[in-house]
Order: sequence, then C-alpha cells, then structure tokens
Amino acid sequence: MRNKRAWFAFPYVIWMALFVVVPIVIMAVYALTAADPITNAAYPTLGNFTGMGLYLNVFLRSFWLAILATLVCLLIGYPVSYWMAKEGPRFQRLAMALIMLPMWMNFLLRTYSWMSILENNGLLNQLLRATGLLDLLGADHIQMIGTPGAVVLGMVYNYLPFMILPIYSVIVKLDGSLVEAARDLGADGVRVFRRVIFPLSLPGILSGVTMVFVPSVSTFAISNLLGGGNQMMLGDLIELQFLGGAYNPHLGAAISMVMMVIVVVCMVVMNHFGEGEEQAVML
Amino acid sequence: MKRQNRFGSRLFIGLTFLFLYLPIFLLIVFSFNAGDSSAVWKGFSLEWYAALFQNRLIMESLYTTLLVSLLATAIATAAGTFAAIGLYALSKRRRDALLVVNDIPMMNADIVTGVSLCLFFVAFFQGWGAFAQWFNGAQSVVELPERLTLGFGTMLLAHIAFNIPYVILNVAPKLRQMDKNLVDAAQDLGCTWMQAFWKVILPEIKPGIVSGALIAFTMSIDDFVISYFTAGSSTSTLAMRIYSMTKKRITPEVNAVSTLLFLSVLALLVLNNVREIRQERRADRQEVRAPSFFEKLSMGLSSPSRRWIRRGGLAAAVCVFVAAVALLTGVAWSQPVVNVCSWGEYIDEDLITQFEEETGIRVNYQTAESNEALYSLLKSGGADYDVIVPSDYMISQLMEEGMLEELDYSRIPNFAKIDERFKYLPYDPENKYTVPYSWGTLGLIYNAAMVEEEPSSWGVLYDGRYAGNVLLINNSRDALGAALLHLGYSVNTTDEGEIREAFSLISDASRRGVFQGKVMDQVFQKMEGGNAAIATYYAGDYLSMLENQADGVDLRYTIPQEGANWFVDAMCVLKDAPHYDEALQWIDFIASTKANLANMDYIWYASPNKEALEQYPAWYEEQYGEELDPELYEIMAPPPEVLERCEMYLVLPPATRALYNELWIQLGT
Repeated sequence: MRNKRAWFAFPYVIWMALFVVVPIVIMAVYALTAADPITNAAYPTLGNFTGMGLYLNVFLRSFWLAILATLVCLLIGYPVSYWMAKEGPRFQRLAMALIMLPMWMNFLLRTYSWMSILENNGLLNQLLRATGLLDLLGADHIQMIGTPGAVVLGMVYNYLPFMILPIYSVIVKLDGSLVEAARDLGADGVRVFRRVIFPLSLPGILSGVTMVFVPSVSTFAISNLLGGGNQMMLGDLIELQFLGGAYNPHLGAAISMVMMVIVVVCMVVMNHFGEGEEQAVML
Repeated sequence: MKRQNRFGSRLFIGLTFLFLYLPIFLLIVFSFNAGDSSAVWKGFSLEWYAALFQNRLIMESLYTTLLVSLLATAIATAAGTFAAIGLYALSKRRRDALLVVNDIPMMNADIVTGVSLCLFFVAFFQGWGAFAQWFNGAQSVVELPERLTLGFGTMLLAHIAFNIPYVILNVAPKLRQMDKNLVDAAQDLGCTWMQAFWKVILPEIKPGIVSGALIAFTMSIDDFVISYFTAGSSTSTLAMRIYSMTKKRITPEVNAVSTLLFLSVLALLVLNNVREIRQERRADRQEVRAPSFFEKLSMGLSSPSRRWIRRGGLAAAVCVFVAAVALLTGVAWSQPVVNVCSWGEYIDEDLITQFEEETGIRVNYQTAESNEALYSLLKSGGADYDVIVPSDYMISQLMEEGMLEELDYSRIPNFAKIDERFKYLPYDPENKYTVPYSWGTLGLIYNAAMVEEEPSSWGVLYDGRYAGNVLLINNSRDALGAALLHLGYSVNTTDEGEIREAFSLISDASRRGVFQGKVMDQVFQKMEGGNAAIATYYAGDYLSMLENQADGVDLRYTIPQEGANWFVDAMCVLKDAPHYDEALQWIDFIASTKANLANMDYIWYASPNKEALEQYPAWYEEQYGEELDPELYEIMAPPPEVLERCEMYLVLPPATRALYNELWIQLGT
C-alpha cells in the first residue's frame, strides 16, 4: 500500500520544482547577467557581484542592526517565555493569545503608529515637552525618527512574538522532574537554570533567533518608515532595483542571491549547534 | 514546589505587553478621531467608520486580501495534506531530501521568495508570449492571449507556494505519530483504500490539518512582501494599500478597517475562551483540557486531537465562498474596464464615480510613487495599465523606448480646450502621444515658524543651517536638479563633472547629517505636523499641505532665485493597451472643463485646460462664497514671467541616466 500513497507526493515534487527551485535558478541567471544600457540585451557577467563592494556599508548596517534587534528580542523574549511558562494554565493561555493577536493588525500600520510616536513633533516629544523634560535638557525635541535606534525598535516590536513563541513552546514542555532531580542533587537556582533549563531550551532559542534574524536583515518597509530613508538596508536596496527608483533587476537578483547564501550559511551553522537536540517547533 | 513571589516577573511580562499594545491602542483611539491627524486628538467621532464603507479603494483591497487568503488557505491545505501523506510513504532518505526543499520558502527571507517568484513569472510570461505568437500564427482555431501580466492569479500562486510548507510542517508530525498498522487493519477488515483514507487517516491527522490551515491563513493575511512583488499593479491587498498610504497620509479609514479586523479576531478569541472555560469545568473530572484556538495556532505540532470544526462544515463553507466569489468576479469581468495609473491623491475621486456612471466603464485606479518607480513597474512586466500620467521627461523616455501608443485625437474632442502653450512641448514635439493633465513648479516649502528668514536660495538645503530639519526629495531627477540649479548649471546638463559636483553637494550635506530623511509623499505628514522645517516639493502639494497644517505650523512656498523646474504631467496610453477605446474615453473625460475644474479644486495643481484655468477663481468664489487668495492662485498657476525663470526637464541620454542611477544609490549607502 505504501507505493500507492507515495504517488501523492508526485504532484508536490513537480510543484516544488516549479515554484521553489526554478525561481531560484532564474534569479541566479539574472544575477549572472546584465542588460546593456543602449540595446537592452542581456549578456553574462560577474559584474553584479564584483561591483557589490559599493554596497558594503548597506550589508554591514543590515547585519549589524539585525543582530542588535535579535539580541534585544532574546533579552526580552527569553525571560517573558520563561516566566510565562511558570504561570497557571489560564494565565498562559491568555498571554499566548495576547502575543499572537497583534499579528492580525497589519504590521505596516503598527509601524506607522510608531512613526507618529517618534516624530520630532510626535506624541513622545509632545509628552516630554508637556512634562517639561525637554526644557530641562534645553532641547526643542529629541531626534528619534530616522535614527538606527528607531529601526531596531521597529524590528524588535514586529518580531518579538517570533522569539517568544518557539522559546515558550520548548520551555513549557520541559520535563519538570529534571529540574526536581537537579535540585535534589543539590543544585541552586542559578545552577539549575544554567545546566538544565537553558541547555534544554536551546532549540527554541535557535529557532527564535532564526525567525527574528531573517526577516530583520531583509526588511525594507520598517527601515523605510522609521529610518526615514537614511538607514538603507539590504531590503531597501533590493526593492529599489525592482520596484523603486533605480531599475536594475540583475543587480537586485545578485544582492538577493548573496543575502540568501549568507542566511543559508547561518542556518547550517545554527543547525550544527542544535544537532542531536529535538527539532525546534517553528511558530 | 514552593510558591515564589511573582510580582517582578509579572511586571516584566506586563511591560512587554504594554510595549506590544501601545501602538495598537493608539491606532484604535485615532480611528475615532474627529480630525484626520494621527497625532492630534480633535474629539470623538464615528465618521471614519462611515467613510470606510464609501472608500472603494480600501474596500476593494480588503476584499482582495480576504479572497486571496481564503483561496490560498483552502488550496494549500488540501494540497499540503496530500503531499504530506505522499512524503510519508517514501523512504526516509528521499523524504528528508524533499523536506529540505520544502523548507526553502520558510527559511528564505520573504523578499528573496518574492523576488525569485516575480522573476520566474516574468520569465514565464516572456516565454509564453513567444509561444502564443507562434501558436496563433501557425493556426487560427484557438486564439491564445499573447500578453500575460502579474496580477491576482500570480499572487494567489505565490501565496499557495509559501503556505504549503506550513501545512506539511503541521500535518507531518501527526502522520509520524499515527500507528502504521491502522490502515492495514482497516483494510483487513474490508475497507477499500479510499474508505481507509477517509475513515482512518483523515480523522487521525485532522488536528494537524486544522492548525496548518490556521497558520496558513494567518501568514496570508499578514503577508505584505511577497504580495508586493507578485501582485503587479492591477490588484492590491490591504497591506499593499496601506504601504502606498504610509508614503503619504494614512487616512483614518485604514485605522477603522484594521480596528474592525482586530476586534473580530478578539471577539472570536473571547468566545472561544469562554467556551473553553465552560468545557474545562465540564471536563474537570476527566482531566482533559482542550487546546485553545491560539494554542493550536502556535503549537500546532503538539496539540492533542479534538474536533474543532464539525466534519464537513469547513468544506461546505469554503465551497459556498468560492462559488460566491466566482459569481462576483464573473460579474466584474464582464464589465468594460480601464486601468489607470497616476500619482497619490492626484485626482478628485468623485470623478471616477462620475465617469463610471456616465459610461458604464469600471475604472481600476492605481497609483505609483514616482516617475522612476512607474518606469520600473512597466519594465518589470508587472503592469497592465492602459492610461498612465508620467511627467514630461519620462514621457520622452517611454516614447524613445517605443512604449507608448499614438492617440486618436479625433476621439478626444476636449483636446481642443487645452491651452496652446501646453501643446507641442519638447517632450512630444508633434503631439502624437499625450494630453496634458496638469502643470506646476518645483520649489522650496518651508515652515515660517521654524526658519529665521525666508530662504531665497536652494543653498539652504545644503548649508547645514537647519541641519536635521531638512527633507531631501527622494528622486534623483528633482534632487540633482535643485543642486545643479544652485551651482548655476542647467538641469539638463549631460556633463559628468557638473553632475558629480551637484551630487557631492548633496552627499556632503547628507554626511553632515543635514537631512532628516529622503521622502516623497511622506513630506505631507512631516511638513503638516511641523516635524521638519524645509522641503523640496511641488506647488500643488504645497497648497494641499496648507489646508491640513497643524496649529502653530506656518507653511510657505517660494521659487528660489536660481530658478526652478516647471513640469507638465500628461496622460498617455501604453503600447498594446488592452482597453484602448475605454482609455480614450477616460482621457477625453478628464480633459473636459468640468473635470479640470473639479480636479484643480481638489488636487491644487494647475489645469492645462484654458477655460478651466481662467474660470477657476470665479468658480471658487461661487463654490465657497469667498474670494480665492490671488497669491495662492499665483503659486498654483504661476504667470509667464515666473515660468521664464524655470526650466523644463528634458530626457537625458542613457549614459547620463545610468550615472544618475548609480549616484543616487550611492547616496543611501
């Protein structure tokens, strides 16, 4: 009977070839060619890759900000997941719902809302002005919008749930008797955490880190809105080549390829770390 | 375990929730705002909820969003379930290899998936075009469409493609847990294979299917990036609509629609919770607790089995929905249509309704951000517009590349009413392709409350006097144009040295932190709210900012002493436009005096229609019972002596355009 059911996979294999593999191959073809500015004809070249040094700053900024955002998410997300898992079931259920719920409000809108908070004349500056704090500092406003900090804030805000969910789902399933055993053997709270709980929650952390890092490094809307166009990131650079002001899909494809390869390498390294551990739950 | 003091941990969790919900709370509050600001509270009102149902663009995008999400979820769930069953019948080695490929769309950044699918569709369309041409030439029985473009179909395919892996991920563990002997046992007891599938396999893996479908649906609703790259130009999801709005002003209707969506999910959640608590009490004796809606969503892999939806209920609902949709889209398709692409807030939307009522032609109205962005859209094959409204120099470029269709002026009688000085301009010397839409100048907009004296030179953008409060216009032509003028060069220079000099003027200022940001339509929200002191923008938009400026903001407009750019935006029809006749009807309608008056009043850009331009001050007085401020009228439609100081952009040779592009990208890095 197994063979008969195996045929069920056949259409999907074709589908995957068509919609996963072929598009990436086409992207690679674009990345390895360029269009002649006069005749518009494509010719093979490595120029898209060799010329990428120009954008080194964008690469560095993207990775730097994404790493920062991932770290902040971890620093907030881990304690939240850990403490949530210790609460009663009703609390947990409510908290889980509250963490998922924002995903149903469009992320652009939520990010835009931050914009109106962080503007020079925005709600936060107005609040500071009203309370007299700005006078104390002798400033008209605190510049928040258009800074790298605002972009990191936007990323943390948008992707924090992706950090909490996997960590929480690993911790909540953690075998309580292991903790008890450790305590019986004389370990104090810090030691139990360091030697038992933390290592066991590693798969959740790894999958959380991936789920925050990948969208952060490739974002374009967030950096666009909160970075005011000053904080160009890889995503912005790619978008610019396709639907933005500088039409060059070949360069855009090349940048996408490089980004994909870097992400895949990160992923392989991560999986290597988590080897032997239970595969972390995505989402 | 002994009870710990949980105050600290709860405080931390509480603060995190505050952080997550503060912006949402603000959004909801401002959906009830009487004014249209998202920062100034002007009193409670429900007007935006009423306006929401009148706003066609938002309602259409909401419909598109729900439609694409539901269809993609239904299809991906069915396909993913079968694929998972098939995968689990394969040997472990093969299965693992295929699962790696399956993981790619989940692991890749959205933008990479979007870009690769976009390129794939475009490449396929090119191949298809060649094939269809050959096929249609070779026989005459069946006529294949030769031009395919990105649209709802491609977006749906993309959604299905990124949803299936999530379904498989959720169904697979259930298959792993299932006792392999169950199917054999069922068949030994006389079931056919089909019966075994329906009665044994499906009930076993149903929880996985349900949670897979929920995740797929959430992902679809939440997606922006992949839709953005694969939907092309003719359809917009709510997220795409919001994205184009974030570039200008988010209208509170969007807050209203999001609040409604949010509250309906919240209601669902509360209902579910109440039901669960009740069930919990009932089930206390058996000590079985059913997982909540959101637990399923978040931990689909491990939730215990439960009948969440009555058997068949979901299938029936989906069938009814699909039938309704098919009916509705069928009706929409049979109606003649014209696809128009213009700029944001660049038309009195009542005109669209009027045109539709008069002619019965449906107008699919989309907007682009800038001439360059429009060009990218057209080149990438993502657009199936009929009518576009580019500016002068872009028109020349499109003409040069053979992308425009000649117009049949005999069917545009209102063309006669266009002022002679806007005909036969350098961009269309024989006037074969264009009908002017509006004209105006590019100048300096400043907030008199934030500057020490009236700026008289473009130099104020670069000298750092108002560092951190200057907005750079985010398109290479205008930004470099202003810098070239300041240096005393022509805006149309092809001299590389001059262009580079102008560029270093900008990039030096950028390095010194003079610019608060590079903006296009975000300039409205920034200047109106007093968030920046100086910006470069168009006269018509200045006038519309004036209407919306916040208290304490005093916006003024000036054309610097070095001169400025004056432009004409004109309507053109794209080569091989599928709705040529409808396009001409639209152009003629928009060129009429009546439409020009309404438009001029709404968008504040000067009309090229001679009658409308002359009649406007009188018309204004009649409409509003007060005299039109002559100074404002002069900003809107500058007299000839002002225009003499201004220069029109001409199309630049490809090498210079490439230089502009290259420099412009460098600026951001």
